[in-house]
Amino acid sequence: MFDKRTGNFTKIVSICAIIFFMAPLVVIILASFSPTELVLFPPKGFSLKWYHNIFSSSVNFMSGLSNSLEVGILATLLDLLIAVPAALGLAKYKVRGAKKLETFFASPMYIPSITFSLVLLQLFAMMGRVPASLRIFAGHLIIIMPYIFRNTYSILTTYNWTLEEAAASLGASPRRTTFDITLPLVKAGIVSGAILSFLYSFDEAVLASMLNSPKFITLPVRIMNYMEYAFDPTLAAISTLLILFSLLIIILVEKVVGLNMFMK
Amino acid sequence: MALLELRNITKKFDALTAVKNLSLTVQDGDMIALLGESGCGKTTTLRMIAGFSKPNEGEILIDGVQVNDIPAYKRNVGIFFQNYALFPHMTSFENIAYGLKIKKLRKQEIEEKVNTMMDLVGLNGLENRYPRQLSGGQQQRVALARSLVVRPSILLLDEPLSNLDAKLRISMQNEIKRIQKVLNITTIIVTHDQSEAISLADKVIVMKKGEILQESNPHDVYEKPMNAFVADFMGFENFIPSKVKEIGEDFAEIAVESLEKPIRVKKAQCFDVTVGDEAKMAIRPQKIQLVDPQKENAFIGTIGNVIYKGDYYRVEIKGIFENPLVVHMNEFKLKSGDTTGVWLSSDEIRIYKSL
Repeated sequence: MFDKRTGNFTKIVSICAIIFFMAPLVVIILASFSPTELVLFPPKGFSLKWYHNIFSSSVNFMSGLSNSLEVGILATLLDLLIAVPAALGLAKYKVRGAKKLETFFASPMYIPSITFSLVLLQLFAMMGRVPASLRIFAGHLIIIMPYIFRNTYSILTTYNWTLEEAAASLGASPRRTTFDITLPLVKAGIVSGAILSFLYSFDEAVLASMLNSPKFITLPVRIMNYMEYAFDPTLAAISTLLILFSLLIIILVEKVVGLNMFMK
Repeated sequence: MALLELRNITKKFDALTAVKNLSLTVQDGDMIALLGESGCGKTTTLRMIAGFSKPNEGEILIDGVQVNDIPAYKRNVGIFFQNYALFPHMTSFENIAYGLKIKKLRKQEIEEKVNTMMDLVGLNGLENRYPRQLSGGQQQRVALARSLVVRPSILLLDEPLSNLDAKLRISMQNEIKRIQKVLNITTIIVTHDQSEAISLADKVIVMKKGEILQESNPHDVYEKPMNAFVADFMGFENFIPSKVKEIGEDFAEIAVESLEKPIRVKKAQCFDVTVGDEAKMAIRPQKIQLVDPQKENAFIGTIGNVIYKGDYYRVEIKGIFENPLVVHMNEFKLKSGDTTGVWLSSDEIRIYKSL
């Protein structure tokens, strides 16, 4: 884990940091197996009943999960189609006002989501009957876009465009060049941006709670609602599953593109 | 294999004119070098031939066909980049095979051609290495093989040897020349290194500020630079201010202020000067001899700075001309402050107009 050259101080700081990040997770995971009505640590006994409760609870967590997945996946996919070409175009052609456009594409990051939600609420009210799923989808589409754009764009700013010329000199059309050379080489930025975007949407509660309807509620909002009247370990059980879910995504990414891409 | 013609090419970047009304012809199978300092327009010219940028005026013709508006990927002009531009996510085999894949050749055919090319450039056994796992020299060979395997009609080499150490340079130089002759590809080399240009090319074109200063074979460009700038570039380090006093049938008389007697120089060694012109008398440091001060017609000077350069001594001699005379000596026993005689052979002197 440590290089030979790593000093003791560095080792201690790193271990402390790891404990600081991991300890709460361990507490949550252990507490989720507690048979008691309240979250207790250390747990007294072992039970899977709270896991059972996730699926049987009157608060419909499962529909929340499928709503969240639906919005998160679709918004991320559509944003890939918008933000990646935008980043490519902006990085490649030094258009006038590129700096301004760059700020524009990143701007949703800087606007407080509560403000943005209010604006959207107003807008949808004016438009009349827009389904909640579409409202949340549209909102997320905008607020998660900067993550894909910026991750892609930042890799492209150091991209060696001579590679495109090399491909052209070998007979590759601009289209082929983009797909064969440039996209594979900025893949790291695109994938990490897409993961961040998806996780942000999956986790987002402010906008989703303002734009939802009784028919369409996302998982974070379900969890918040549940918290208002119950404090049993069901939430710990859900959290444990979500940790597992994140872990799975990371393993999947590792398998597909290699995690070391984050180190570059 | 192709005939390349540039006709009155001009390229401007905003206020800067990078290439001015440049015309040149490269015969089928020839290897020419564009030589000049950075900013002389040589790379701009190369990029226009490759199709990465368009001239503002003039025509580019390949085999008689105007290609100004044909994009790079349809020109079949191969280019070797100074930084190699290897695709980092492909192995050396995949890098070389890429152009053939674009051409939709059968897999077996691609394999054959790539292997032949790897043989030719000496890359056997390195098929599965990624560029970052290869040494500079190996990367260079991959880049060369990649541009050659698609059989371009014209090959452009941008500073092909500049990133290599001295030993590799020589072997790559031989390699490039050998491969170019084997494949008989019309080749243009861009370089700022005169020895590279002279040793590789059949014809050397010296450029400055977007214009051609001289276009001749390597021997002539080295021995008979046509003006003071080219001479400077070709290693004539001593430029002595002088005046053309008289031009006779075969000889010219050149007056140098600090000398009593004028120097006689063959007319063929005077370039573009007339009687009364302010001139520069140019001579290479290697062509000056130090002699006994008693010798007839020798100039008398004092040794100034001496720097040991490994294969020669760089010696400055003061007191003869206004500026110290630079001499390269293989053997040197004297020391700073000593008096010495200097012998200038009139065969080695060139006379240029003062710029």
